[in-house]
Order: sequence, then structure tokens, then C-alpha cells
Amino acid sequence: MSDKLKTKFLGKTIKSPLVLPAGIMDMSFSGLNYAVQNGAGIVTSKSLTLEPRMGHKGPVVAEFEGGLLNCMGLCNPGIEDGLAEINQFKKHSDIPVIVSVFATNILDFLKLTKYVNKSKADFLELNLSCPNVFDEFGIPLSASKEKVGEIISAVKKISKLPIIAKLSPNVYDISEIALSAESAGADALCLINTVGPGMLIDTKMVKPVLFNKFGGLSGPCIKPIALKLIYQTYSAVNIPIIGMGGVKSGEDAVEMLMAGATVIGVGTAVYCRGIEVFNKINDEITKFMKEENYKKLSEIPKLKKL
Amino acid sequence: MNKRFTLSIAKIVEETKGIKTFTFKHKLDAKPGQFIMLTDFEGGEKPFSISDCTEDEFSITVKKIGEFTARLFQKRIEDYVSIRGAYGSSFFISKNKVLLVGGGYAIPTFYFLSKILLKNKADITLINGARTKEEHIFADRFQKLNIKVINATNDGSFGEKGTVVNVAKKLIEDENFDFLYASGPEMMMKTLQKVCGEIEYEFLFERYMKCAIGICGNCTMDPLGLRLCVEGPVLPKKKIKLLTEFGKYHRDASGERIKY
Ligand SMILES: Cc1cc2nc3c(=O)[nH]c(=O)nc-3n(C[C@H](O)[C@H](O)[C@H](O)COP(=O)(O)OP(=O)(O)OC[C@H]3O[C@@H](n4cnc5c(N)ncnc54)[C@H](O)[C@@H]3O)c2cc1C
Ligand SMILES: Cc1cc2nc3c(=O)[nH]c(=O)nc-3n(C[C@H](O)[C@H](O)[C@H](O)COP(=O)(O)O)c2cc1C
Ligand code: FES
Repeated sequence: MSDKLKTKFLGKTIKSPLVLPAGIMDMSFSGLNYAVQNGAGIVTSKSLTLEPRMGHKGPVVAEFEGGLLNCMGLCNPGIEDGLAEINQFKKHSDIPVIVSVFATNILDFLKLTKYVNKSKADFLELNLSCPNVFDEFGIPLSASKEKVGEIISAVKKISKLPIIAKLSPNVYDISEIALSAESAGADALCLINTVGPGMLIDTKMVKPVLFNKFGGLSGPCIKPIALKLIYQTYSAVNIPIIGMGGVKSGEDAVEMLMAGATVIGVGTAVYCRGIEVFNKINDEITKFMKEENYKKLSEIPKLKKL
Repeated sequence: MNKRFTLSIAKIVEETKGIKTFTFKHKLDAKPGQFIMLTDFEGGEKPFSISDCTEDEFSITVKKIGEFTARLFQKRIEDYVSIRGAYGSSFFISKNKVLLVGGGYAIPTFYFLSKILLKNKADITLINGARTKEEHIFADRFQKLNIKVINATNDGSFGEKGTVVNVAKKLIEDENFDFLYASGPEMMMKTLQKVCGEIEYEFLFERYMKCAIGICGNCTMDPLGLRLCVEGPVLPKKKIKLLTEFGKYHRDASGERIKY
């Protein structure tokens, strides 16, 4: 991997700016390993909950031209087993790990934070934006700037790790929510989670393709939305941003950086271009930097703020 | 991309009590060892190996074990189901002397494999096992192929008495095989591995699958993180030897480890 890709995120030096996002190939320590072997610079756990969850019944994914619809339903082995996987990963790796956690109220977020404090994780990500558990939990927390603020301030008080807030794209004004997260003490923001949700229909059987009917949209079709929201957020706050949503190539990754991201998540592209996608994008960014004569990642310019 | 197709069931054959073969008229682009994901949109989408695949039709052979397969067993000819695939890795196609070892609902994938191996002029010996005669399947179909078949049951009610591993062990001692294929219960494959010696082999594994396109990570195997739906379900000796979870544990739908 080219040295030019080296950068810093919340004080940690990373070899590549590419992040394996929550929910992608991250149910086991070995899945994280596999992403790192293939060029990821930071990895994220599946969003962990206090108790194990089996997730929704299938079909839980639907492929279509623009990317994917998914309604995994937050399946995960629970915080204890999930962190055991993270600790096992950390035994053999110094790659920074973000532990993503999901809850629906402050008390549970605090309980989860206490577990994460005792683990070998580097960062704590609060998933405030899962769109696929609506029936169970209602609209995502990140739809409300008040709730986002309350949860982050509470977690900030006890967390030993820097806090990242994962935001939903499905809001009227992202900058207001981002500002609320920042002033409550978030150390970084991660956006965007999946868009929509949307649906697809099987025309022969006259049924929604996903058993949950609706699922979050990811992949190439959401990139323009992601860029716009990251740019608006970047314009509003001063904390670093993990930018994601539809990144599939080096060109896409550079767009994310220019929109204001510090590092870049690559999720659905693992399906579009295979597990090799991380190394491919690393190479493509390096090639771009050479062509445009940027010596360091930080030299790639950002757009002028809004 | 977008590989889903909704088909009506063209044929249903009851192989034995609790195992049925479903055939679809559709040109499926598939290789032996690969699988499809099948759903009826009533809750659940499950992986099944392809047991036969010709120019214009393909089949899967299903054992009834739980909620989803029980519902599938109630389907009739002309009922619709929705399928995506074929997914995953496929078996190496040898042209030499090969041994196929399998049992139960995992044997039909060898029917498709045998047909392709025969096209490549391989010399095939198949050990087809089950616990009892009632559970033994596909004997008549394999009989019609130009291959050597040894049937076996644990209780001796059909073919040789004993496990497929015992039968394989004897054969491996007496004859020289260039390649071995196995498909069946994981603990069977684990003991079989010990009698393989120097022979190159490939085993077909099963892990809990959800997306089948390599992104959810539910099917990864430790410690390499190989995704069984993409890099598997067929794995070669070189990779199998590195697996630390083989015969020890697997992960359920939540990702929790379950011991064998
Ligand atoms: C690559 C592969 C090929 C397979 N090929 C065949 C085949 O050719 N014929 C056949 O009868 N069966 C096959 N299976 C197993 C088949 O998928 C399960 O029997 C089926 O999913 C059971 O569903 P159920 O609701 O009836 O049972 P449940 O009661 O839900 O589960 C019973 C057991 O089936 C397994 N299982 C359930 N869901 C899944 C899943 N999504 N992925 C993997 N395993 C699961 C688990 O071990 C579980 O303990 C294959 C599995 C894999 C991974
Ligand atoms: C199958 C799948 C599962 C996901 N699970 C989670 C999750 O558990 N927690 C979370 O915060 N985001 C989850 N996401 C959202 C991704 O982390 C990411 O924000 C989104 O997919 C956009 O990026 P992409 O287009 O590169 O995939 C999931 C996405 C997919 C496709
Ligand atoms: S089933 Fe999702 S990665 Fe294999």
C-alpha cells in the first residue's frame, strides 16, 4: 500500500483512509481480518445490542441495478459475544476498531458503553439511525436533534473512548442534527446510513421482495445524496466525518474527501466489486494523487464551505 | 446483478420420506457445488445445493427439517417460488481417478458433479451413505451413470454396513485416488479428513447464510474470514487445513457461536 495514503483519524495513524462500515462482513473477528487483509484501514463491528438478535426473516437483501436494499434487522450476537470477537481481532492486529452499538434509550446506551469501556476497541459509534427496525422501535433517534443531543451528552460522561455518531440521511435538515451531536460532545460523525427505506415487488407472486417489506438503500444509487449531506454537515461542524454511501471507486472516494470527509466507508461495493475493492480503491486514490500531484492525502482540497 | 427469477415448480419427486427433489424449467448458469437461495416470500430464504442442471432445467433436493422446508414440502407443481443464484464456489473438475464421499441430503450435489466429471472422462468411485435404507437416496440415479457406486448404511439395511468414512478408509488403502470430494455432515468430513493422507481434496461446507452475496458476514469461517457464500461452499484442502472452526463450532443467525 502506498505511504501516501497514510492519514490520521481521531489521533490514530491509519494506513488507508478506507473504513469497513457497520454491518458489512463484521459478525466475526475473522470477517474484520479479511477486510484488513484486503486493504481496509479501520474496521467497524456490526451494531451490537444488549441481547443477541436473530434479525428479520429472509429475504433480507434484494439486489437491483442501483445497489442493494437490506433489512437485516440488526442481527448480532449481543454485546458480550460481539466484544469477544473484537478482543480476539485486537490480539493480532493494531488496526483501529470502531464498535458500533444500537439501543433505543439512554439507559441501554449507557449499559452498552460500560461494556465497550472494558474492551479493546478504539472508538465507540452510536448507531442512531437504523431504518430497518421501524415496526419494533419506530423512527430512528437521529430524526430528533433533541434526542441525539441527550444521548450523546449522557454517553460522553462515561465513555472512555472517543464517540462517533452515526446519522441518518432521512431527515429534513442534517446540519441541525450534526450541530446538536457536536455540541453534545461527539468526537466525530459517520454518515450516511442507508437511505429510504424503499421497497421492491415481485410481479409474479405479487409480494414485496423483502419479507420485512421495506429496506434501507445502499450502493451507487445513494452516492449523490451522501455527497450532499456530507457537504452540508462539513459546512456546519468542525469535527471529522466518516463519509460513506455508494463509494465504489477511487474517484468516488476522492469526491467524499472533497465534500468534507476525513475517511471513507466502503460497504456495498464489497458486493459490487468483490472483497478486492479496498485495495483497488487504495490504488485508484494513489493514482489520482499522482496525476494531480498531491503528495499527502491531506493535500486533497475540500470544497469551500456553504 | 439482479439475479432473482420467479419460477413455477415443474416437477416434484419424493426421494424418500422427508426428502424431495424440486425441478424448474429454466436455464441456470451453474457449476457443480454451487447453490441457490430460494424463498416463497412467506418468511425465510434458504440455501440449497443444485442437484442437477441441464440446458433447460435444474433441480434441488431438500430435506424437511424445520419451518421453511416444511412449508416448501406443501408446495405443488405449478406453485411459484423465487430463486436467486447460482452462488458460490464450485468443485474442481478432475479428469483422473476420483473418490466422492457423501451422505444424506448432501449427496445429490454429487449427481450434478458426476455428470460433469464424466464429460471430462474422470474415473469415478462414489460412496453414498445414510443411516438406514429408508433414508438412503439417489441410489437408482447414480446406478444409471457410468460410475462405480458403493452404497452404505450405518445399520447395514442397504449396501455395506458402516459409515462412509470406514468404507472410504478401506478404499483409500487399496486404491490410488488422485482427488477426493466430500459433502455431508461436518463431523463426518472431520473424521474423513484424517484418512485422506496425501490425497488432494475439496469439501462442501454449510454455514448460516443470509445475503449470499458476501456482505453480511454471517457465513464467515475462522480464522481467515472466508465467506462461505462467496469463497465457499466448496473449499480446497489448502484452505480447509487452516480452518480453526472446522468440526468445532459454527455461528447461528445472530452470529453467536454454536458448538458441534
Ligand atoms: C451451501 C448450503 C447448501 C445446502 N444445500 C442443501 C440441500 O441441497 N438440501 C437441503 O435439504 N438442505 C441444504 N442446506 C441446508 C438448508 O439450507 C437448511 O436445511 C434449511 O435452511 C432449513 O430451514 P428450515 O426453516 O426448514 O429449518 P430451521 O428450523 O430454520 O433450521 C434447521 C437447521 O437448518 C440450518 N439452517 C437454517 N437456516 C439456514 C440458512 N439460512 N443457511 C444455512 N443453514 C440454515 C441450521 O443448521 C439450522 O439449525 C444447505 C445449506 C447450505 C449453507
Ligand atoms: C447489509 C447491510 C447491513 C448494515 N448494517 C448496519 C448496521 O448494523 N449498523 C449501521 O450503523 N449501519 C449498517 N449498514 C449501513 C452501512 O454501514 C452504510 O452506512 C450504508 O450501507 C451506506 O454505505 P454503502 O453504500 O457503502 O454500503 C448496513 C448496510 C448494509 C448494506
Ligand atoms: S451469507 Fe452474507 S456474507 Fe455470506
